[in-house]
Amino acid sequence: MKFTKLASATLLSLAAVSVSQAVTLDIEFTNLTQAQSFTPRLVIAHDDTVDAFEVGQPASSALAWLAEAGVIDDEQNADSSGANFEALLGPVDTDNGSNTWHRFGGLLAPKATLSYPFDTMDKPYLSLLSMLIPTNDAFVGMDSIEIPTEPGTYTYYLNAYDAGTELNDELNSARKDVVEAGTGNALGGYGVPGVAGGGAPTRIVDLGTGGTGVGAQIVNGEIEDGEDGPVHIHRNALGDTDSAAGASDLDSTVHRWLNPVARVVITVPAS
Amino acid sequence: MNNPIIKLSTLLMLSALLAACGDDGDTGPQGPAGPQGEAGTDGQDGTDGQDGSDGQDVINGNSAFYTVKVTNLTYSQPFAPAAVILHESGFDSFNEGEPASMGIEIMSEGGDPSMVITEAMDSTDFLDAQNSGGILGPRSMGAELTLVVPELDADDLRLTVTTMLVNTNDAFTGLNAANVSNMAVGDIKTFMTVTWDAGTEANTETAATMPGPAASAAGGGGEAAGYDVVSDDLADAVRLHQGVVTSANAEDPSREGLSTSVLTEAHRFDFPTSRVVITRTR
Repeated sequence: MKFTKLASATLLSLAAVSVSQAVTLDIEFTNLTQAQSFTPRLVIAHDDTVDAFEVGQPASSALAWLAEAGVIDDEQNADSSGANFEALLGPVDTDNGSNTWHRFGGLLAPKATLSYPFDTMDKPYLSLLSMLIPTNDAFVGMDSIEIPTEPGTYTYYLNAYDAGTELNDELNSARKDVVEAGTGNALGGYGVPGVAGGGAPTRIVDLGTGGTGVGAQIVNGEIEDGEDGPVHIHRNALGDTDSAAGASDLDSTVHRWLNPVARVVITVPAS
Repeated sequence: MNNPIIKLSTLLMLSALLAACGDDGDTGPQGPAGPQGEAGTDGQDGTDGQDGSDGQDVINGNSAFYTVKVTNLTYSQPFAPAAVILHESGFDSFNEGEPASMGIEIMSEGGDPSMVITEAMDSTDFLDAQNSGGILGPRSMGAELTLVVPELDADDLRLTVTTMLVNTNDAFTGLNAANVSNMAVGDIKTFMTVTWDAGTEANTETAATMPGPAASAAGGGGEAAGYDVVSDDLADAVRLHQGVVTSANAEDPSREGLSTSVLTEAHRFDFPTSRVVITRTR
């Protein structure tokens, strides 16, 4: 009887500790680029069994969906069902054991800042991912930082990575004069070449249309959808200054960036 | 009580005298040689050897062990063999704004890091070093290198890493005396590194001046395109690298490309260029 009481008392105290550790962080996210918009942000609090991306390792299909099309879950794009981060992590806003995640919707325009509350559900690490548009498969990533436990404000600078799942052809995905080699599919979106998001409302300039291709070249009206992975630091958009010709449909004076491309300020509240 | 012994000895003496007295004739001929005797029994085993001397105190409980792992974050810049050095504070392989040492110049132009290591070994602050010995391809992780330092020095420890980006004239990445003091066993520190220009060779990006595969493909490269005694850079000083210009956009209206460069847009790189992870394992 005494032993049982002791055990239940221990359990209670453990439960009390874990409740006190679950905190709602304030995550302030700033786009530091001059002309790259960020797609909806995926924020994941997780344990050490979850790794959304790793430099030097091939991208998952979930990362490819995020980096090529900005898609995180079924609600955004039903075609991604079973292959996106929702499939990898589990239901949204739920304690999935190894993780909990949320999609902060909408485009984040260049130079803009937004703040989000986020319940970490007692997970030790934080990752954050968002696609840069207009690019082929560039994403900004926070790679499994240890969530601070002391109340305070913590600042992180994030780099742009290349998911490596699509060649950086830098061709406007609205173009109709080019199709994917082999399939004849129109440009744009997951698994198909062409920079995504060129017509986004947060765009700084319209894309060109006459490029011949940068990381891959147009041959007889077709463009290859090859890979250039594993995940690595993005070498930057190239662009050029001729919207009707040249290699790229991006503008070299507008669309380039240098790391870091985002700032994250995490506030751990006093409990 | 002694009588029996005396009597016996007297008898023996008498018999000896009798034998001697009885032989008065000539000595007979020598008899034939006897048969060879049997082989003797084996000798006894020798005594045991002496105990060996004690081993040297190299790997013992008073050493701190570290592993260092470099990841190449670039799209298409292979890394030359890396110098990985642990030392105390007070030593620097290079300083921004100052001329590069001969070791840094040779490493950044031709890729061989061995003199960077020997220069460090000449310092009283030197502790241990490894030459990774191989090329680390783009977008890939290197092998773990193990370094050992006296435990007493773990409280004032610096990590220096240098490795050339081979499709460049004199660019190198790594760490300049990063503070890795007071790591407990199991601790991990991760560094994302910038790239420096050694300031010892002009960034012409031509086949004749770069050792890597891009120059080789253009008919140059190799050892002759590596270290050059001529220092013709804008300034003889180590500073952060501006990135490669490449021949991309040499013909578009911007003319921003360097038409004489054998590099393409694929050889461009942004910071960080490498990731260095150090783990204390013992």
